[in-house]
Amino acid sequence: MTNRYVQMALRLVVAAILLPVGYSKLAAGGMDVMLFERLGMEPHGRIIIGLLEITAGLLMLSPQAASGALIAVGIMFGAILAHSTVLGVDVGDGGRHVAMLTLVLVSSILVLYARRRDLPIIGTTLGAGDNRDP
Amino acid sequence: MSVSSQPQDVRHLETRLSVNLDRVGKIANAGIVLALVGSVLLGHFVSFYFHFLTVFLILLNLLNFYWRHVQKAHTLLSNFGFTAQLRYLIESVGPEFRQYLYSSDNEERPFSRNERTEVYRKAKGIDSSAAFGTQLDWESGNHILLRHSFFPTTTDKLEPFRVTFGEEREIATAYAISHPVMISGMSFGALGSHAVRALARGAKKAGIPMNTGEGGYPKYHLMEGADLIFQIGTAKFGVRHEDGRLHEGKLAELAAKEPIAMVEIKFSQGAKPGKGGLLPKEKLSQEIAELRGVPMGQDVVSPPRPLECVDEASTVAFIRRVQEVAGLPVGIKFCLGRSVELRRLVLEMKRQGVFPDFMTVDGAEGGTGAAPRSFMDGLGLPLLEGLARVQSVLEEEGVRDRLKLIASGKLIDARRQLIAMSLGADACYTARGFMLALGCIQALQCNQNTCPVGITTHNPRLERGLDIEAKSTRVANYVAGLCHNYVEMLAATGKTAASELGRDDLFLPGAHQGGAS
Ligand SMILES: Cc1cc2nc3c(=O)[nH]c(=O)nc-3n(C[C@H](O)[C@H](O)[C@H](O)COP(=O)(O)O)c2cc1C
Repeated sequence: MTNRYVQMALRLVVAAILLPVGYSKLAAGGMDVMLFERLGMEPHGRIIIGLLEITAGLLMLSPQAASGALIAVGIMFGAILAHSTVLGVDVGDGGRHVAMLTLVLVSSILVLYARRRDLPIIGTTLGAGDNRDP
Repeated sequence: MSVSSQPQDVRHLETRLSVNLDRVGKIANAGIVLALVGSVLLGHFVSFYFHFLTVFLILLNLLNFYWRHVQKAHTLLSNFGFTAQLRYLIESVGPEFRQYLYSSDNEERPFSRNERTEVYRKAKGIDSSAAFGTQLDWESGNHILLRHSFFPTTTDKLEPFRVTFGEEREIATAYAISHPVMISGMSFGALGSHAVRALARGAKKAGIPMNTGEGGYPKYHLMEGADLIFQIGTAKFGVRHEDGRLHEGKLAELAAKEPIAMVEIKFSQGAKPGKGGLLPKEKLSQEIAELRGVPMGQDVVSPPRPLECVDEASTVAFIRRVQEVAGLPVGIKFCLGRSVELRRLVLEMKRQGVFPDFMTVDGAEGGTGAAPRSFMDGLGLPLLEGLARVQSVLEEEGVRDRLKLIASGKLIDARRQLIAMSLGADACYTARGFMLALGCIQALQCNQNTCPVGITTHNPRLERGLDIEAKSTRVANYVAGLCHNYVEMLAATGKTAASELGRDDLFLPGAHQGGAS
């Protein structure tokens, strides 16, 4: 449904945000360490999330973009939880984090919806035209 | 009960799975909501790490909601949610498991996985080419095959299919069909209302008639505007007096309804010949009791034959009476027991000059909503044997041209339909073929009101997943797929119409056919 070029652009946007953000987490950027300390997840949580972000970013550029989008949506849900329960909207960056989060979330949801049938295992139950027992 | 002493046991694996699914599904669907709440609390008060679980559960709940309340293509997912996905998961590794551990793709009964898959594919309108070669057990050497011709007909040379019931009596209400297959009798009662309506709507879309079965007044069948063949069961539900005799007024009133095109008097059914229909009390709702005119709370047992029919003369008289009252083509349905009895009946027909407009020959392998296993397994001639004998009796008595023959009994694909037609059938009925098209998974629970795909149940929770519109399309697709195969196979035989097929066009293994054929 989402136009192919729009979809391509959305995938690039998500990858372009997630890859550097993930790298910065693995590289223990100051801001990241501070945030994960406040969540009580330093250092393991930071490393896990960093790895997931890089995985999602790479998948976004591969034919399995649907899986990348699903992981991205999951991370963003987690980020929403973090900002809404512990961190607050402005973490000393004028809300930049939250703005990016929203951008990634919306883009990933659009990509995920458009490519939902590519998802492994559950994909074929998410639209018409599959070939399994009812 | 040990598995080794009960080799059939493994075949029921599927049954167990779906039985459990019902309860497991309910618990699991509520469980993941509770788990989500718990995980949010833990994440907030104990450790943020719990929110990994929270996120997973949010996604799972969203997906589950979609499966249960939005999508309409998958009955099991609608009814049970994510636990049903287990079935698909297991199914995806099923071929391997079955091949090595359980039964092969050709082994399950009554319909093997391969046979069912064929119907599912037709119903979904998916190309059904297969690869590498037949999977039938070729060494057993007992498959009946059609003989093709050196000079196949091109499909455009085939005559369009047309059979007209009642033309022999030259009645104004003679009824013509234009497809070789029709929906065989399944009562509302055996089937739930969603299934009946999906079948009726599908029949309407496909342009084929549907038999109402012996369920009484066909309230749900009538809703969709399909042509109907009203069945008078042995108990005459819908057209009976209190004492079980025919209520002419009610029959005339029904027969006058526009969609009702023919009437079928049931004498017996292959799955339980010599025994009346049976509706277990678990499935008897207030509504069914009203449509049938019977009391609640006990099994509904039909007599083994229509009360009026005690011998040949009274039977033929009863047929004439129904023909006169209904003013429509009227046929009789039976499973053959003894040929001599049929011959005596036919002689009486000749004596009275009264013939039914069609005979439906049902085979012992036929289906049922509920019957004692001893009857399913132990009585009646199989379809092909019975059909060949009926054809012979009619030919020998010189009355084959006085009526039409319909065959039923596992005629779920074009190969079997053409074989039946080679043995004398003018048209075919199938019941279970259409159940499969509706999404039947052969869970073998038709008599328990627990059908997991909502076909043979009146439990609204189970019927919910059977979307009438979506499944009616599958019914119509199935008919289209059957007709497609039928036309192509008929063309391969080199004939231009199925009526030209005869016994010589079959390869009957084991029969001493001599060098000539
Ligand atoms: C669920 C179910 C309900 C049936 N109900 C009736 C019925 O009411 N009257 C009848 O004559 N036959 C009934 N039958 C038998 C079928 O009409 C048919 O004769 C038989 O199933 C053979 O066809 P099949 O092998 O294609 O299913 C029923 C069969 C099934 C599976």
